[in-house]
Amino acid sequence: MHGYAGKILRLDLTGRNVFVLDTAKYREWGGGHGLGAALFWEFCKDKTITDGRNPGNVCVVATSPLCGTGVPSGTGRCEVVGIGVGYDGISWFTRTGFGGRFSTMLKYAGWDAVVIEGRADQPVWVDIRNDSVTLRDAAHLWGKDTWTTQQEIWKTIGAPGGTHLPWRELDRLKDAKRGGKDQGRTTQLPAVLVIGPAGENMSHGSLIHDAGNGAGQGGLGSVWGSKNLKAISVIGTGGITVADPKALIQARLQLKRKYIASYEAPDFRQWSRIGPLAKPIVQGPLPTDERRPQSCQGCVNGCRARFNLGYGNESACQETSWYNEFIQKVATSPREFGEISLKAADLCQKYGLNSFVLQTGLPWLEHLHEEGVLGPGKQIPSDLPWDKLGTLEFAERLIHCLSTKTDVGRDLAEGWVPTARKWGREKDLHTGAMQFSYWGCPEHGYDPRAELEWGYGSILGDRDTNTHCFNFMFTQLSAAFAYALPIRVEPEDLVTIQARKMAPYAKDRPEVFDFSDANMYTEAVAQLVRWQQHYCRFWKQSALFCDLKWPDLFNTNAPHQEGATGSADAGEHVFWNAVTGDALTLEDGIAMGRRIWNLDNAIWVLQGRHRDQVHFAPYIYETKYEKNELFPFYLWPCRDESGKWVYTDLMGRSLDRKKFDEWKTIFYGLEGWDPGTGWPTRGTLEKLKLGFAADALAAAGRLGKEESR
Amino acid sequence: MNFPLSSPGEELALRILGKVAYQDRLPAGRLAPRLGITRGSVRGLPELHLYLTPDDRTLPALSLERLADWVEQIIVDGELASRIRAAVGASASYVDGCIRVRELVGQRLQQARESLAQHSGEPGERKEA
Repeated sequence: MHGYAGKILRLDLTGRNVFVLDTAKYREWGGGHGLGAALFWEFCKDKTITDGRNPGNVCVVATSPLCGTGVPSGTGRCEVVGIGVGYDGISWFTRTGFGGRFSTMLKYAGWDAVVIEGRADQPVWVDIRNDSVTLRDAAHLWGKDTWTTQQEIWKTIGAPGGTHLPWRELDRLKDAKRGGKDQGRTTQLPAVLVIGPAGENMSHGSLIHDAGNGAGQGGLGSVWGSKNLKAISVIGTGGITVADPKALIQARLQLKRKYIASYEAPDFRQWSRIGPLAKPIVQGPLPTDERRPQSCQGCVNGCRARFNLGYGNESACQETSWYNEFIQKVATSPREFGEISLKAADLCQKYGLNSFVLQTGLPWLEHLHEEGVLGPGKQIPSDLPWDKLGTLEFAERLIHCLSTKTDVGRDLAEGWVPTARKWGREKDLHTGAMQFSYWGCPEHGYDPRAELEWGYGSILGDRDTNTHCFNFMFTQLSAAFAYALPIRVEPEDLVTIQARKMAPYAKDRPEVFDFSDANMYTEAVAQLVRWQQHYCRFWKQSALFCDLKWPDLFNTNAPHQEGATGSADAGEHVFWNAVTGDALTLEDGIAMGRRIWNLDNAIWVLQGRHRDQVHFAPYIYETKYEKNELFPFYLWPCRDESGKWVYTDLMGRSLDRKKFDEWKTIFYGLEGWDPGTGWPTRGTLEKLKLGFAADALAAAGRLGKEESR
Repeated sequence: MNFPLSSPGEELALRILGKVAYQDRLPAGRLAPRLGITRGSVRGLPELHLYLTPDDRTLPALSLERLADWVEQIIVDGELASRIRAAVGASASYVDGCIRVRELVGQRLQQARESLAQHSGEPGERKEA
């Protein structure tokens, strides 16, 4: 099996047993999410669990065949699945992911995935050195932050001087079957995936690896805490066989030549996803220009940075954003602003806190404080120092209380929306003072009232979808408008070129990209959402192509502006086939994604999902996304009344609850699910070779009715 | 349009350098590729000046027209509001408008500091640009 390490590690924490599974049995699921969902299905015996802290929950950490092979922006990601923690009512079977070098190291040690079952009676960490797996006492690590824990583990594993030992000898652990290329030694530090105090306390727990690779959404760090699992450390000295190394390298070089901006003459205004050159996506002002790009193993992007300052290393995107609104109220210079922002990010990394909840959660807490209901001696007692909001001191107090279940953190650990109800603040979900849009998750920054595929995909799934397949249209277009730059492509050309890539659901149907009021509840938009969910479930979350770079549908670097996605020279399937020796097409992968998505849905239905639950927070229906409230324009391709394509500002509208409900019927029909319940039918599941799921649903009395003809 | 704004009196200078009530805040988010539009607000001109500092990774996300109204009605600085409207009207783009407004606000902040310093007999405090 080219691309695979060949074995799956199964950990029974309750009995402290270690089992080895053969990856070949699960080969049909690809890797990552598909592999994880299949393993979850097999080993989680009670799929009615609605809180991931239940010891019956099963968490799977899964790699893909591409990990560790040099596939551009598809080598260093890792997927984690299991029932989540902290959402609204039911915490669904969910996913999260992170980058870095953990997935590659896991494969170099000989493992494709780790299945985590049960609950240890005392804190443990898992020490993987090639084929040797040991559960070790973690009492001395419990309570330590994520960085200290990793350093302690590095010292344990042959590096008492930190990074000063040049080689780590693993010869005596070497498996003779691994072959002559395995030298049994490495200069690398073990890759460690760890929880901090937040995970230990089962409160907004994130999984952290190295300085800044975090897997936050879903609350799976809290799941580890509930299992008394502090860390998994892995060091390996093996390698991965690639079916056609020449084809892999050729495709990588072709990607660079054809689709990525030239270093000699970079086009900084390009419209593409794979194309931009390395640049940190730190969201606040950078406190210094003295930095190096930093990326996941094998990536061509470099979306993070390491600074010469001793802080902010490897943090990017959300964790460098959530506090900025408040920092600007106290900072006296951009440099001070950047310093507080990055140090606050560091705190989130060290506590192992999922900072995503703070993106809209902190403004809500501020709202409660300003209304006079939250504070010392108030209806919601809190000793947070609101007079210091924006300072690093406030950030640390807040992060500490959320991570340790103290102050407001006591209630919020059970989820923000449940807490709003407990505090008598349900009205805030109606007014929009609390912007948690779907399943108790914060709104991401792509409001469902404007950006349909993001909102619809989230509410039909398990959490904030966090899949950026299409919204580059909005960001590139809006940025061009903001700078009064020439629009790189007319809207009809943009949607036409992209629609060429939309097989099997919407090939050459540009109307799926029509985000207008007239089209927002149609079959066309349902097909767009299906394509995104199915594409992502396989190519992005199972093959583990990075969300920041793939799919590449439209690309001004390339001739005819066609992106790399699905291309014969550097498409996703080209890389997959070069590594595995398969002969997949892009559509084959999407079909696999549909199967995985349907398995996920079967789990959600067993957990209790019904179509009546599938609704946004009330403010999405009851209030408008105010025009000019924030950004002056939110431009998307739309058709006007005459059918002409125009870039149109989509602010100023809300969703219609009744029409959205009717749209779900269209979506369910296309998926082959019972429109009355949203439950899958036996016919659909059997067509997808998921008859075993149909049996389980039937036994639970939750199988959808077949459409009467 | 380069003639200076008239020097603010002490009362106006305090408002220019002060912080308005929460309910009077100006919605002001940020557009960041990958993250989208994050919500936010501004509660004073010093904060606005920092908020509008250009960088090459994100864009301020606010209505410049609404900003002028806010300066007029909440900060109660009609002269600055007029100059903001003129600057926005003359700008080549939204980003250009943000830069022009930032320059104006920076000048106004400096005037306010100097005004207060004169009233207190102390030299005006400077902020890093």
